[in-house]
Amino acid sequence: MNTTIETLDSATIVKATGRLDFEASASFQKELEQAIANAAARKAAVAINCEGIEYVSSAGLRVFLVAARAAKSAAIGFGVCSLTAGVKEVFDISGFGRIIDVFPDQAAALAKFSTPA
Amino acid sequence: MNSVHRIVEARAAELAALQSFLTEFWAAAALPVDVRYPFELALEEIFVNIVSYATDPAHPGLVTLTLNSDATTVQMTISDDSTPFDPLSRDAPDTTLDLDSRGIGGLGIHLIRTMMDEVSYRLSDGQNHLTMTKQLL
Repeated sequence: MNTTIETLDSATIVKATGRLDFEASASFQKELEQAIANAAARKAAVAINCEGIEYVSSAGLRVFLVAARAAKSAAIGFGVCSLTAGVKEVFDISGFGRIIDVFPDQAAALAKFSTPA
Repeated sequence: MNSVHRIVEARAAELAALQSFLTEFWAAAALPVDVRYPFELALEEIFVNIVSYATDPAHPGLVTLTLNSDATTVQMTISDDSTPFDPLSRDAPDTTLDLDSRGIGGLGIHLIRTMMDEVSYRLSDGQNHLTMTKQLL
């Protein structure tokens, strides 16, 4: 997994590329925790742009779950966008679309997070 | 009909070898890439489960990955000689719970059952065999 972090006014965009499997999940979780803590300090949201993630297993889903909870307890917005076909199917079957905001693309995520709640 | 198998020790580090084996089989049999996801997922979920439930990590058992394909079907069997366990006996997770109540327990096998056309478990010769099939068309 390769991760790049982009800091915008309303949101921090975490762009991840590669396979989010059992092996990659621990380090990705650490990076997300850091990004959420930094975003929380400036009251910004966090969006994960998943257009480069071609594979997620249940270990990867757990990372999204933990991150969503961390964002919730920090009272900041959180969402994922640009899911590839296979990853979207995994989200749908798992019911994760009910508990995590899923946006079609990064613009849609930013539109949501730049609007005061 | 293409049929291959590979045997590894039930150690986490061996997952990469099985993943490469699956990818190579896919290419050699010229199978469509968009059908590969459920097989990659099932391999990871089941193998990680076998390793995590190993009774004696100092003496890992063996895991056999068997792959078959013909013009219409791909089939994968994961066999292991650890404690008899039928993963299909697990209840499906409640996917309607809210964020605070959700876990990932049982999610792997739920994904496999949903994404594959057929999943069956059998205990024979003291080994667990989980067989998953997907139609190509």
